[in-house]
Amino acid sequence: MLNDYLLTVISNIGMISLIALSAYLLLISGEISFGQQAYFGISAYAGAIATTLWGWPLWLALLFGSSLAALAAGFVGLLTLRISGLYFSIATLAFAEMVRLSLFKLSYQLEIDGELIGPNGAEGFGEIRWIFDNDVSVLEYTLLIYGILLLVLFCLVLIERSRLGMIFRMLGQDPLLTRIQGLNPVRYKVTAAILAGFIAGLGGTLYAHSFTYIEPQIFNVMLGVHALAYGLIGGLGTVLGPLIGVAIDIGFLESVRVFQGYRMIVFGGLVAVMLIFMPRGILDENRVYRLKNLAQRWFRA
Amino acid sequence: MTDFLQNCIDGVMFGSGYALLALGFTLVFGVMKRLNLSFGPSIMLGAYAGTWVYLNFSQNVLLVVLVTVMITVAVGIYVERLCFWAVRRDATIASMVSSFVIWMQLEEVAMHLLPERTYPFPAFFTSTVIDIGPFFVRSEHISMFLLTLVLLALLHLFLFRTRPGLAVRAVSDNPLASRYMGINSSNVLFLAFAVVSVLGGLAGFLILSADSQVTPFFGLWATFKGLIAMMLGGMGSLPGAILGGLLLGVVEANAFWYGGPVVRDISAYLLLFMMLIVRPGGLVGQRIVAQQQAAYERV
Repeated sequence: MLNDYLLTVISNIGMISLIALSAYLLLISGEISFGQQAYFGISAYAGAIATTLWGWPLWLALLFGSSLAALAAGFVGLLTLRISGLYFSIATLAFAEMVRLSLFKLSYQLEIDGELIGPNGAEGFGEIRWIFDNDVSVLEYTLLIYGILLLVLFCLVLIERSRLGMIFRMLGQDPLLTRIQGLNPVRYKVTAAILAGFIAGLGGTLYAHSFTYIEPQIFNVMLGVHALAYGLIGGLGTVLGPLIGVAIDIGFLESVRVFQGYRMIVFGGLVAVMLIFMPRGILDENRVYRLKNLAQRWFRA
Repeated sequence: MTDFLQNCIDGVMFGSGYALLALGFTLVFGVMKRLNLSFGPSIMLGAYAGTWVYLNFSQNVLLVVLVTVMITVAVGIYVERLCFWAVRRDATIASMVSSFVIWMQLEEVAMHLLPERTYPFPAFFTSTVIDIGPFFVRSEHISMFLLTLVLLALLHLFLFRTRPGLAVRAVSDNPLASRYMGINSSNVLFLAFAVVSVLGGLAGFLILSADSQVTPFFGLWATFKGLIAMMLGGMGSLPGAILGGLLLGVVEANAFWYGGPVVRDISAYLLLFMMLIVRPGGLVGQRIVAQQQAAYERV
């Protein structure tokens, strides 16, 4: 039943969920980023270089790639402090495209086992063999992805229940209100950007090792805008929203092969109509609130 | 120096196409304060329909222009009704995401219409090279430039000399006040979309016929070139869109000459990123940003 194809789809959902979560984190704190794919890509390259060229273990590469992504995100966050709204979106888009195009110029190859391995511009970066070298099966790797995803979800739930999460949402609703509360929006904006960069970075390194081949073209603006759309389709009320969005897009449409070739015509139309009735996604703040009340009553009874 | 000037001439010629795309974005953004990502793809679908007619029915270039513009307008209206008119006014992100999924939809429709990667696009003008002193200019670029000027003049006439144009400007200036004056903003939005689609369809035709080919990447290309040019010039400003388009053209032409295609794209994005950080209002839109800032401080 659980064949490798199905597992690949499932693990793909997990990895794309991470970038969707990072876009979601920025969405709830009031910024629309077109550029989360940059951090995904930075980490994919950095993590893959760490394991294949430097021989690091995966966990260290994961940490290295994500930290580098978080660093870049923090840097962009600081630079874009003065701007918001569409200005911010386009600035992040410009940054992400600069990163992607720079990857075309990145060439760093070392000779390993008599072969030149490493990123080489438009030819991409192949032979990311960590999975094969360590005899990790597809199932085990999928479990690893979901372990990390669960950890991230857990942290995000904790954040949402904490003061920090409250401030993020307040920042998203009304930045002026945040300032009236005596809070410094600058600090929280940069925090949100760094966290989002780190989460996207986790997805990136995992992605590189799962597919064993990456090229700059993967990290184009389509990936970022998809990540953004997932959060909105699933709903902005809960961290599960982005996951629902990803699962609907990849899972549902992969499985319904009838739509082959008409996939986006059907899906695009459905989502557009859905957004008319649910402008903040399937699980928006109101519905999450009502569901919580319902659950509470259920448990009390 | 001669190279540099030659690049600038080429840049201005090609930048006029960017300017038209940027004008489309600025006009629609000004009226509804929401971003229409599927502007480029709707032009692409129009151009694909035009190419389809060209390949299957008739070699008449005027007919191709007509089909391109008409389909672009039809698609533009479809997008406007579905993604902007029907969605709640304050749900700006929903509209944007909605226009994005419709983009994917339009691309797939285009792929069904013409499944190959590249198609020849009919040239409107015969291509010759004209020498002017040490410089040379391609004739189709000159005609594109001149036609852009004509379109700009017509747009100016529409916006500043007609009552519907006045309504468009009023809504984009102050939506609430214009409603008090009895202007139906929904109709104005519809009108703006139609006008912009005509503009976009013609711009798409001019750019593609200067290129003499059409590919499925045109939608993405047009959307982002238009956005960049608009932001460079200053969001919401009409002269800004034109200046931004020309600046983008000149920078790209020079970067391409000195560094190749990757450097050309990087330089465009670097310029945009720097501009947004240092001067978010772009070349001429700083006043708009300052106004928003002042309103924010007053609250």
